[in-house]
Amino acid sequence: MSLKQAVEILIVEDTPEDLELTLRALKKANLTNHIEIARDGAEALDFIFGEGPHLGRKLEDGPKVVLLDLKLPKVDGLEVLKRMKGDSRTSMIPVVVLTSSKEQRDVIESYKLGVNSYIVKPVNFEGFAAAVRDLGMYWLLLNQPPKIEQ
Amino acid sequence: MMAVHQATPRDWKPDEILVVQEVVERCWATIERRTAEERLNQLNSELEQRVLERTEQLEAANKELEAFSYSVSHDLRAPLRTMDGFSQAVLEDYGPQLPEEGRRYLQTISKGAQRMGELIDDLLEFARLSRQVLKTQTVAMDVLVRTVLQELNPPQQDRQIEVHTGELPPCLGDSALLKQVWLNLISNALKYTRKCKPAIVEIGCTALNDTNTYFVRDNGTGFDMQYAHKLFGVFQRLHRAEDYEGTGVGLAIVQRVVHRHGGRVWAQASVDHGATFYFTLGGETKS
Repeated sequence: MSLKQAVEILIVEDTPEDLELTLRALKKANLTNHIEIARDGAEALDFIFGEGPHLGRKLEDGPKVVLLDLKLPKVDGLEVLKRMKGDSRTSMIPVVVLTSSKEQRDVIESYKLGVNSYIVKPVNFEGFAAAVRDLGMYWLLLNQPPKIEQ
Repeated sequence: MMAVHQATPRDWKPDEILVVQEVVERCWATIERRTAEERLNQLNSELEQRVLERTEQLEAANKELEAFSYSVSHDLRAPLRTMDGFSQAVLEDYGPQLPEEGRRYLQTISKGAQRMGELIDDLLEFARLSRQVLKTQTVAMDVLVRTVLQELNPPQQDRQIEVHTGELPPCLGDSALLKQVWLNLISNALKYTRKCKPAIVEIGCTALNDTNTYFVRDNGTGFDMQYAHKLFGVFQRLHRAEDYEGTGVGLAIVQRVVHRHGGRVWAQASVDHGATFYFTLGGETKS
């Protein structure tokens, strides 16, 4: 473990309003410690693999879970998922797709690529807040992840 | 037409002339047949070409539609979540400082956003069912209806409902899509009999003009037949939202599925005396 606290949640979200609502929901559930934000797929990959502006970041410093939107600028969510699950260094990090899309092909493709959970963001904020709270609780507190070594 | 060449003059005997004439006629018949065949072949290949082109156009249109609903699914919900989410945030953070009227306005914004979310979901479902490929097989309609009734049962507990199911012969069709038809028709029957004690729903099949005609009848609120032509339109409603909730997509889905099976759907009703919805499944029904 490095001295710097490990990142617990990486949120990959391009819509600022959705990002704010996600953070609000996490805050209400007291889950705001150590959140990293990526605004597109390329930023997410840089962070996850310790490249670009994150060069030198250690992979064992998290994240514990990635909340991934699918429709993203530059590199889309499915590509991020594919790269993560296709790399032995990151394949064990739980990825939760958090998206507006109920389209079956997105769901099927995500599971084929090895997503750990697929959540459709409801329009209704109460439902959305409950979903974010529950998945935060589940992946950060309940779930026992494998120890990731470099 | 055809000359017989002979270097030295000779007298043609009548039977020889007959032979020559027959040969000539056969030749002509063959030539004409060949020409007709060629034209037919050409027409066929032109037709095939046209079918190919049309199929390509349809596939392109279908792809476009799919891309459209994909984009709707992804992009149209986000702004609604923003409207609902931030209305809720104002209510939560500043609610106590707002006058009652202000809080009510925010709730109205929220409700509007949620309502539009439902409309989008239903419209997407309608589009999905419209383009889904039919998986035709023999469908046990009685089993399908029993499943639908079981699914619809729990929320209706506190009501007095009589459901009479008659004989339902099997048919040829897509089981999942036909289940949706029953689900929409029966849930409508339960919805529009909400004020009836008891609510009576009859489900059955009758032979009209030798065609199996399935029906769902209720003793509910019914509707005025002069608006019957509007029933099956997307987002068309004959009742106010505050009386009977809904988006007006259910019957549009029913009609689309029935039409895709080559069938027909129609209704008979009168105000406060219930409604009956009938549907056939084209020439594919069998008794």
